[in-house]
Amino acid sequence: MNDVLLKVEGIGKAFPGVLALDNVSFELGRGEVHALVGENGAGKSTLMKILSGVIKPDTGTITYKGKPVVFHSAMEAQRAGISMIFQELNLIPHLTVAQNIFVGHEPLTPWGTLDEKRMRTDAQAILNLLHLKISPSAEVRTLPISEQQMVEIAKVLSQKSEVLIMDEPTSALTEREITELFKVIHTLRDQGVGIIYISHRLEELKHIVDRLSIFRDGQHISTHDFGGVSLKDVVNAMVGRKLEMQFPPRNNVPTTEVLLEVTHLASGNRVADVSFKLYRGEILGFAGLMGSGRSEVARAVFGADAKAHGEIRYLGNIIHTRSPSDAIRQGLAYLPENRKQDGLAVMMGLSENLTMANIPAISKKMGILSLADEKAAAVASIESLQIKTPRYDQKVNNLSGGNQQKVVVGKWLFNQSKILIFDEPTRGIDVGAKYAVYQLMERLAREGVGIIMISSELPEILGMSDRVVVLHEGRLAATLKTSETDQEQILSFAAGVEQPHPAGWST
Amino acid sequence: MVNMSDKKISLDKVFTFGAVVILFTVFSITATNFFTVRNLLTMALQTSTITLMGIGVTYVIITAGIDLSIGSVIALTGTLAVMAANLGWPTWLAIAVGLVTGIACGLGNGLLVTHLRLPPFIATLGTMMIFRGLVLTVTNANSSPAPDEFGALGNLTLFKVSAPDGTTVFPGISYIVLVMIGMALIFHFVLKKTRIGRYIYAIGSNEEAARLSGIKVRQTKLAAYVVSGFLSAVVGVLLASRMVTSQPNGGIGYELNAIAASVIGGTSLMGGIGTVGGAVVGSFIIGILNTGLTMQGASYFAQQIVIGAVVIGAVAIDQLRNKRA
Repeated sequence: MNDVLLKVEGIGKAFPGVLALDNVSFELGRGEVHALVGENGAGKSTLMKILSGVIKPDTGTITYKGKPVVFHSAMEAQRAGISMIFQELNLIPHLTVAQNIFVGHEPLTPWGTLDEKRMRTDAQAILNLLHLKISPSAEVRTLPISEQQMVEIAKVLSQKSEVLIMDEPTSALTEREITELFKVIHTLRDQGVGIIYISHRLEELKHIVDRLSIFRDGQHISTHDFGGVSLKDVVNAMVGRKLEMQFPPRNNVPTTEVLLEVTHLASGNRVADVSFKLYRGEILGFAGLMGSGRSEVARAVFGADAKAHGEIRYLGNIIHTRSPSDAIRQGLAYLPENRKQDGLAVMMGLSENLTMANIPAISKKMGILSLADEKAAAVASIESLQIKTPRYDQKVNNLSGGNQQKVVVGKWLFNQSKILIFDEPTRGIDVGAKYAVYQLMERLAREGVGIIMISSELPEILGMSDRVVVLHEGRLAATLKTSETDQEQILSFAAGVEQPHPAGWST
Repeated sequence: MVNMSDKKISLDKVFTFGAVVILFTVFSITATNFFTVRNLLTMALQTSTITLMGIGVTYVIITAGIDLSIGSVIALTGTLAVMAANLGWPTWLAIAVGLVTGIACGLGNGLLVTHLRLPPFIATLGTMMIFRGLVLTVTNANSSPAPDEFGALGNLTLFKVSAPDGTTVFPGISYIVLVMIGMALIFHFVLKKTRIGRYIYAIGSNEEAARLSGIKVRQTKLAAYVVSGFLSAVVGVLLASRMVTSQPNGGIGYELNAIAASVIGGTSLMGGIGTVGGAVVGSFIIGILNTGLTMQGASYFAQQIVIGAVVIGAVAIDQLRNKRA
């Protein structure tokens, strides 16, 4: 740990309109797990991309194992022993697990052809090390996301890296898989691998981290031994101000008016039988384990997936949502979990994304757009949601994750939706932006909107919802009053340990 | 903190437009008779058909699709229009037959893509063969002359000025060029200023996000293919009128010129990016090269090499710039 493995000095990197990194220095020791924390846009990802050879810095030097290095590609960095596990999955869906693990450095037979057999046995060895029950011959596209993430980790392990960069590796993993991952991290550390660990889940750091560096606005603020600093101080340093509360004060009062009533909903093979009510002014939490059908219920109500059975009533009247456009006409909105993939047209402008769900509102006769109205709408949204952007028509791709989330919210506010379904609203966004999203949800509920919040984070469910719908394997396990329940009870319903009983149905 | 300025001149527009100016200047200096009124008018006339096709296929490409059936639609619609004229139908009705056929072809392409969920390449490869087969079957591959009135649209000009002794002072602007300008203005407006245009961009940029925003993806895509079919039919009718003959074997390979014009003009085959203005400029780059190289005595074969290199060069520059950004 006193042996410096990787050292960067004076790194600077500018993108059009943004100074992403400003004179950053940082050190990683051999056999050290070093956490990098900071809000989105703090420059962590940019620094990691520079270290792994994906992009080049404008200024500064990198010293690796005592020698100055310049990487021209990710491949060069990998050969040198620096590997990165990206937040987004970089697997090839139609290849098998083994083929993916060895992509780019396939073992060959003496004739120069691919040695599929050795690939499988070597892959199996790595999977065993990770205690994974995944077949090396399985096609990657058939695996659930969490297993794909583990394959990604196995792939990096196969490269015998000396520096391993992990960007939010646990965001798609289950508790059990996280435990396995941490065991692996410990093993690697003992072997002398240096690990840079980026995470928004500060609580999990205590299991693995030796040191921690805080970034803010492209600058390296400070580095601490993990034992010598409290998480509260870390958070304060990250946001640059004192953050007293994790959740905003709740002043929304659920009314007795039923906005949405769903009875015996079934859809696909993930949703078997779900019933719930949503009141005006209420934030209704959706809890459940991965695969319990939370998102699928929302997508079925919204008409996003193929045919659903069951009855959906909006203000007492039966509605049929065969497509998202039907649902939107009734005032429903769905903010998908995967913003970049499903929620935004990232190559288009901020203003164009904001108006996308309600283009008629900026249209004159004959479907002709009023670009002046669009601009006015965009400027108003930017101000009311405090979106940080240099221009009202900035390409969404150039905004940070938290600001992108605000654009998605803004899109539905512009549509004057009456029911907003948030699917993992704070996944991958930083502490400060999280608070802003919570405030926004509270404000909307206060203004009479009904909100469904799907979340894997139980503290979020407990902190923000009025009632909780708990799902287990596509069925309703319980509907609980948030003020009368706790983490343990929700978990036991979600895990199917506690069975639904009449009291659980009370609303 | 929000920048309110509306105007930003993008670099690629400067690039492509600059290319036109440079080509123009070079040929004006090196080729005698290039910079003459008569030659410019001829060049505009010859380029107009590429422009019209290029605009249509740009609509389709922005939705991340492709239309390979353009050449066949041109032959089919032109031929049916001539056949209608030969039945003694008035010219306007004959033209309408051609245009409606083009719209139907586009609708067919669109339905294959949206309802059978075929990849656009496969769907329009199939219809390219089907439409060509249809026109060859109907005509037995024979071209036939059309009545003189039918040839008016393709051969008459506006603002023709003759001297008292009968010599031509100004040959006039061909109706074909005027149709092209009109269509370019209309379809530019539709793409940039109307809902359907916005939907086309949204779908090409992120189809799932567009769908979850309530945009009717199928209808919009259908519209894009109909635009391409319609503009192909316009070309089919104009060409048949200019030749005053039906050409069942005409238009072969035209779709590739159209795609080249669109791509040179900055349209991305990945979808989401492209403009009518780009397609116009792209087609004129091809047109200027064709005319200029011919006048310099370059063979048709050599022209192919140059235009091929321009397509590759245009996209390569684009890629390099995107990488740097």
